[in-house]
Amino acid sequence: MRRLLRWWRGLYESPVLLTAFAVVLGLVVGMFVIIFTTTPVLDAWRSVLNSWGGPGHALKTTLDHVGAAYRAMFNGAIIDPSTLWHSLNTGQGWTQTLTPLSETLTYATPLTIASIGVGITFQTGLFNIGANGQAIIGGIIGVAIGSSLHLPTIILMPLTLLAGIAGGIITGAIPGLLKAFTGAHEVIVTLMFNYVANLSLIFALLSTPLQQPGQGNDISRTLRPGALLSPLFGTTSGLRVNWGLFIAAAIVVLAWWFLERSSLGFEFRVSGANPHAARVSGINPRKVTIYAFLISGGLAGLAGITQVAGTTHYIDGGFLVGSAGIGFTAITVSLLGRNRPIGIMWGALLFAALGVGGRAMQATTGIPLDLATIIQYAIVLFIATPVLVEEIFRMRARSAGGLQLASQGWNT
Amino acid sequence: MTTTLANISETAPRRRLQRDQVIGLLMVALGLFTAWAFGLGAAGRSQSQFTFDPVNASGTVPWHLGALTLPTRVSCLLAGALIIAGGVEILWRRPRRALLARFGGGAVLFFLAILTWASRTHGPSQVSFVNLTSVLVGGIAPAVVLTYGSLSGVLCERAGVVNIAIEGQFLAGAFLGSLIDSVTHNFFFATLGGVVVGAGLGAILAFFALRYQSDQIIAGVVLASLVISLGSYLNLQVLTPYPQYNAGSPAPNLMIPLLGKIPILGPVLFDENGFFYLVVALVLLISFGLFRTRWGLRVRAVGEHPKAAASVGIDVIRTRYVNVILGGVVAGVGGVALFAWQGQFQPGITSGYGYIALAGLIFGRWRPSGVVVAALLFGMSVYLANNLQTYQVPVSTSILLMFPYVVTIFVVSGLIGRVRAPAADGIPYKRD
Repeated sequence: MRRLLRWWRGLYESPVLLTAFAVVLGLVVGMFVIIFTTTPVLDAWRSVLNSWGGPGHALKTTLDHVGAAYRAMFNGAIIDPSTLWHSLNTGQGWTQTLTPLSETLTYATPLTIASIGVGITFQTGLFNIGANGQAIIGGIIGVAIGSSLHLPTIILMPLTLLAGIAGGIITGAIPGLLKAFTGAHEVIVTLMFNYVANLSLIFALLSTPLQQPGQGNDISRTLRPGALLSPLFGTTSGLRVNWGLFIAAAIVVLAWWFLERSSLGFEFRVSGANPHAARVSGINPRKVTIYAFLISGGLAGLAGITQVAGTTHYIDGGFLVGSAGIGFTAITVSLLGRNRPIGIMWGALLFAALGVGGRAMQATTGIPLDLATIIQYAIVLFIATPVLVEEIFRMRARSAGGLQLASQGWNT
Repeated sequence: MTTTLANISETAPRRRLQRDQVIGLLMVALGLFTAWAFGLGAAGRSQSQFTFDPVNASGTVPWHLGALTLPTRVSCLLAGALIIAGGVEILWRRPRRALLARFGGGAVLFFLAILTWASRTHGPSQVSFVNLTSVLVGGIAPAVVLTYGSLSGVLCERAGVVNIAIEGQFLAGAFLGSLIDSVTHNFFFATLGGVVVGAGLGAILAFFALRYQSDQIIAGVVLASLVISLGSYLNLQVLTPYPQYNAGSPAPNLMIPLLGKIPILGPVLFDENGFFYLVVALVLLISFGLFRTRWGLRVRAVGEHPKAAASVGIDVIRTRYVNVILGGVVAGVGGVALFAWQGQFQPGITSGYGYIALAGLIFGRWRPSGVVVAALLFGMSVYLANNLQTYQVPVSTSILLMFPYVVTIFVVSGLIGRVRAPAADGIPYKRD
């Protein structure tokens, strides 16, 4: 009994539970957003004043709408019980049953890669808010290479990925270099580069080398078959989950090794934890800043090209724009995973599920996909404020487990 | 021990370009570019015309100025030469003061050269004249919005809280302002809406930053992104099915009698909408408040050295709460001003102005007066980016639209150098 209690207390104080509670709070926020913007629900609450049966009816309407939205999210992101039942009974339709999971994994693939890049800068005490722009440029350059060269797969595939990485590195290098040599704050520079990248995308899509021949719209040429990351279960399976998954897994392992075992990774973490100590012990802050941005940008670029090569196969004006901006989600995922590769992997799976589920919710219930984004941001706001979650759920206060970022303002 | 010392001296920053040298070099480069692209880029015989009459004159123009015709190539070469001369003067004499004023002069010449070049005759464009008055009026509109944003930043950061959520406060203000204006057709109520929503968002930011000591940059970015998603959500969920809630109109101009009739200056400074006059008043008020009153002294003390401030009995947390909420109010009104300029709400209405305002805040060195200069620079960039297309400049629209963002990057990296923010800016304060 006592062991059980201790186990419970240990669980109750673990960061995993903190995350779970933050997710619950995020869903509650989303619930309120639905309530305040759905006309039938508002009407039901308004009629409470007129009729005796009002409160019950209003509550039921609310639960119906919110329930339908969240059920659609779950069914669209993980598994739909009814199709699962159907497949189990008849042994058919497994593609349809597995599609939600496959979609979530597909979406999680570039998200993990980009988030690890962002997480590395966060661990270094730097803020790379520009992963989205870096991913876009990576996608542009990757498509430029992968759609134009006639080479065998064994060369074209790596070349396309490298081109994507190069695009991200170039875009990420500029804020890093500016930060290191002129002191320009990386938050502003990377934010501005997001806008520049968005406009570059439109420019590139409308100019000759990239635009689909015979098209007047902002749509690029399709990647050559040799440059595609092929689906894991074959092209005929209908499941989009692709070999990029293994790239993402490799990146997780590599990043873990880099941060925990390599000396440069150690310098990164020391610089993030205590810049002053880092400087005194001979770590060159400029070198760390530049390398962190190179790595982060490269990973963002890889994420961009992985998205293209694995999922979309071409880019258009909506590439990574708005709610599809994995670079913005990557910021939240990285915070959710507390900037550690393994945590980020789980965080990416969760937020990928929210994103994919949000799309399914939009299709079934008509509630805009942005709700999923709102829930994601709300979750992260709670994650960044562990004390608040602890107070709400009466957890015992503790210092470890929360986000550890040195808040430094502009004077760094 | 010796190795440690050797390491320190090794990693100590090497001698590098001073800020004034960077500015000087930048100006020389800008001048060379001006002379090359606009001077030599124009045909030798082409001419440019500047006109000055107000475009949106309400019927009665009490004055009429003739057009000014200039030879394009010579004028642009002259502008380029002047900018180069300014840069060389900075490099040569190393003046200690008024560096940015010199650079501002260079920027004005550069903008004029662009316009001269764009409006040349026998160019690709049908529009062969530039109405300078409308250029100035057009540049003021975004500058007003940016000034609101930067002033919000001044209020928050002078008290030691970084407010990156300005972008979100803009968007929320614009959304609510548009909604209220569509229903009531009254900009007073719209502004009130901006005040309320800005204060609310400021309070949320303050709550996270002060009560729970979240990382302020993270909390700000996440809050701004949350509000932007919410704006996009509400646009689809509410404004699309009910378009009558998004049927506002730009704010009307309020002309000041007599002063509004001054040539050129009248339409630019005395025939603007209410948000312009309000922001002028706010700049003066905040400037006076911060540097001449007891309140300002306290705020600055809290931002520079909260422990010392607390030791003389100032309630640090309270001061910060008040300032962050006030900053939110100013940014919320700025959002309404943004809507009042554009006339309609759309999800991407802020297009990064909140972040540009932050850059303006740094460029203006956390002073209301400096912030105005920055806002004018960025405002003019925004105007040019949006309007140079009418002159059929042989540059892609998307590239033109990058202009304000690129200017921002240049300004943040080249012109500012290492600035000194309020010492406690962004650092959570813990009561002992």
